[in-house]
Amino acid sequence: MNDFDFVEPASIAEASRIGGDLGDEARFIAGGTALMLALRQRMLTPTHLVSLARLAPLRGIELDAQGALRIGALTLHAEVAASDVVRRHAPMLAAMAGQVANPQVRNQGTLGGNLCYADPATDPPTCLLALDARVRLASHRGTRELALVDFIVDYYTTAIEPDELVQEILVPPLPTDATGHYARHLRTAAEHRPMASTAVLVQRRGDICTDARVVVGAAAPVPRRLARAEQALIGQRITADCVAEAASLAAAEITPLDDLRGSADYRRQVVRVQTERTLSGLFGLPVR
Amino acid sequence: MSEHSIELTINGRRIAATVKARRLLADFLRDDLHLTGTKRGCETGTCGACTVLVDGRALKSCLSLAVQANGREVRTVEGLQQGDALHPLQDSFLRCGGLQCGYCTPGMLMSACALLAANPRPDAEQVRAGLAGNLCRCTGYTQIVEAVLEAAQEPRHGD
Repeated sequence: MNDFDFVEPASIAEASRIGGDLGDEARFIAGGTALMLALRQRMLTPTHLVSLARLAPLRGIELDAQGALRIGALTLHAEVAASDVVRRHAPMLAAMAGQVANPQVRNQGTLGGNLCYADPATDPPTCLLALDARVRLASHRGTRELALVDFIVDYYTTAIEPDELVQEILVPPLPTDATGHYARHLRTAAEHRPMASTAVLVQRRGDICTDARVVVGAAAPVPRRLARAEQALIGQRITADCVAEAASLAAAEITPLDDLRGSADYRRQVVRVQTERTLSGLFGLPVR
Repeated sequence: MSEHSIELTINGRRIAATVKARRLLADFLRDDLHLTGTKRGCETGTCGACTVLVDGRALKSCLSLAVQANGREVRTVEGLQQGDALHPLQDSFLRCGGLQCGYCTPGMLMSACALLAANPRPDAEQVRAGLAGNLCRCTGYTQIVEAVLEAAQEPRHGD
């Protein structure tokens, strides 16, 4: 690991100015679990680490007046998993957070840091996309909000500017009758990163699926909602065949990664089976 | 290349030190303080041999900077034993044969310690989940899980 200076600004404005002035020479550090690996392997060689630890506006979980969850960027995965308010208002998010990596990483890694790293082999972005999450970015110039889908641009790439940091993650209130589930597939039980993940949020009236969000991540460079799979569900009678059709479309719609965690073909198969099982479970159909 | 004066509590003792920004917590503990119970294994955050408690939470000291621990309370495997008395987890690992080469054991003990503090009566599945960030290449885990379950029956486990 190369030498660097470590600075701990006391305000967002100060952190933002350092980030803006130094550009790629500076890296913000939240928990640091991913950053430390990149530093140790010299994939990144910044001259400055800018710690966000003193920035109180990046902490806390609350429900705002509109019923949206506001999760501070420095919230640990373990805190998301254990939060009563998250469990009540977005149970699939709490359940997902309890599966990220391993206990030690959940105790150190943060939700905001995870999103900024934009590693495809991780859990939160897929789940948050199904929840229509947004991120609030802050800098000395002010704040702006971006839909998560616009924030995650590509493999390890986000829309964040050098002088911006993620202040909080916003999860809008869910329709009262919506149910969701997040599922992940690991190459082996000892692996801590998913090779494919599916997040689904559905609404139904009787036998008819009235709305569906289907997101696949980890199997592709960026997690994305899959419009064709969603359209195969919305307005349709819920049957095993309908679910199987939607799952097949999901597998066809992704542009799969092909790497050590799994070949492109294998990932499509996993996505099809995982999506079918997740939908079947949510709709109360037998899980094949 | 900044240097930092840090003050923290380690195993109940106040420690003041000067560290370089890039000093890892694992190296600070082992090389500066000679607390060599904490092991360096994979160096990539996978094996968990370097697990210590920071403010009661288990984390990997090979993925942490010493400067990040400034003002915090750190507990290492050396902090488990009270005088001559082994911690109930250390005792149960011995009795159950929860180790062979012993290299993963300090990390296992610290993860188990955090697990029992949060969940004093875990079942076997919860123990396995709590130790999911710690690898052991010798035992096959069975006796480690038994040891944690046995320690959970002891009155003093939450220490």
